[in-house]
Amino acid sequence: MSGDPKRSDWADHDWQLIHDAPQMPLQHMALDQVLLEEVAAGRRAPTLRIWEWAAPAVVIGIFQSLKNEVDAEAANRYGIQVVRRISGGGAMFIEPGNTITYSIYAPESLVAGMSFREAYAYMDAFVLQALGELGIKAWYQPLNDITSEGGKIGGAAQARRGGAVLHHVTMAYDIDAAKMLQVLRIGREKLSDKGIESAAKRVDPLHGQTGLPRETIIGRMVDTFRRRNGLSPSAVSPAELAAAERLIREKFGTEAWRAKVP
Amino acid sequence: MSILVSSDSSQVQSQAAAWRHGEYKIPGGKLVVVDLRVAQGRLADVQLSGDFFLEPPEALDVINAALTGLPCDVGAAALEAAVRAALGPDVEMYGITVEGVAVVVQRALA
Repeated sequence: MSGDPKRSDWADHDWQLIHDAPQMPLQHMALDQVLLEEVAAGRRAPTLRIWEWAAPAVVIGIFQSLKNEVDAEAANRYGIQVVRRISGGGAMFIEPGNTITYSIYAPESLVAGMSFREAYAYMDAFVLQALGELGIKAWYQPLNDITSEGGKIGGAAQARRGGAVLHHVTMAYDIDAAKMLQVLRIGREKLSDKGIESAAKRVDPLHGQTGLPRETIIGRMVDTFRRRNGLSPSAVSPAELAAAERLIREKFGTEAWRAKVP
Repeated sequence: MSILVSSDSSQVQSQAAAWRHGEYKIPGGKLVVVDLRVAQGRLADVQLSGDFFLEPPEALDVINAALTGLPCDVGAAALEAAVRAALGPDVEMYGITVEGVAVVVQRALA
C-alpha cells in the first residue's frame, strides 16, 4: 500500500505506550474518547493503550440496540456492567483476565487514502506479526475480525474524529462461552451467512491455542510494536483523567447514552 | 389517577400501532436491525441498529429521519432513493449498504 501523498508512516510518529492498572468499564469508554480527541488536537502524540479490566462488562457498539443485544436480567445476575462505546461494531463480553484489549490513537494521515477494509487490516498488522512470533497462525478476516484456523480470535472497531482515528480491538484470551451466551443475545440471523450453528464455536481463545500466560502475549505485542514503530512509556495525564471523569458524569454514565439506541 | 384516566390511557395504548422488527445480515457485511411502527400507512418511530460502522455516527439519525414518514408500500427503490438523498457524500458506510437498509425495512413490514 503506497502512493497517497498525505499518508504518514508509522515511523513518522513518536509512539507512546499507556498500560495502566485495571480500570472500570466506564473509565475505559471515556478514556477512548479523551485520548482520541487529545491526539486529534495535537496535544498528545500517537498512542498505543493496553487495557486492564477491573470488572466484568458487556461493551456494545454505538449503533447497537441495548435490549436487542443484552439480556439485562442475566447481566444483572452476574454483576456485569453494560456500557456503550464510541465506535460501531458488535457487543463484547469481557471478564478481567479473559480478554486482551488495546487501542491505537493515531492521526488519520496514517491511513490516508485507504479504504476502511484496508485500514482495519493495516492497523492490526503488528498484532498478526506478534501472534505469528508466538506460533499462532492468525490472519485478518474482513470486515473486522482477527481469526485463525480454530476460529475467531478477536474483533476490531474504528472511530474517526477531528482528523484522528481510534482503532480498538478485543481478543479472547479465555472465555466462559456458556455465560457469554446467557448475557448476549446472538440471533440466528447474525450467523446466517457464517455457515455455522453456534456463536460459541466461532471463538477460539488465545489461551487454548498457546497455553501461554496472558501477560506473555501482551508483552510480545508491545515488543513487536516497539520494534516496528518505536514506543516510549507514557501515562494518562491528570488533565486527561479529569476530562474522562467529566465524560463519565455527562455522557458515558448516563442512561441517555447507554440506551441511546434502546 | 382516576379510573376514567387509566381507561383513557389504555385506550390510547390499544390505538398505538404495534412495534415491528426486522433483521438482515448483509452478505459479507454486518447485521442491520430495524424497529418501527406503521401509523396511518406511513413508517413511524424508525430506529435502525446493528453492528455496522458509519462515519460520522450522526448519519444513523439521518437515515432514521429519511425513512420516517414514507408510505409503507413504496417499495425498495423508493426506500433506497430516500436514504441515498438524505446522506451526504461524506458519509462512509462499512458493513451496511443503502440496499440493505431497504431490505431490513421491508422485512419488518412483511
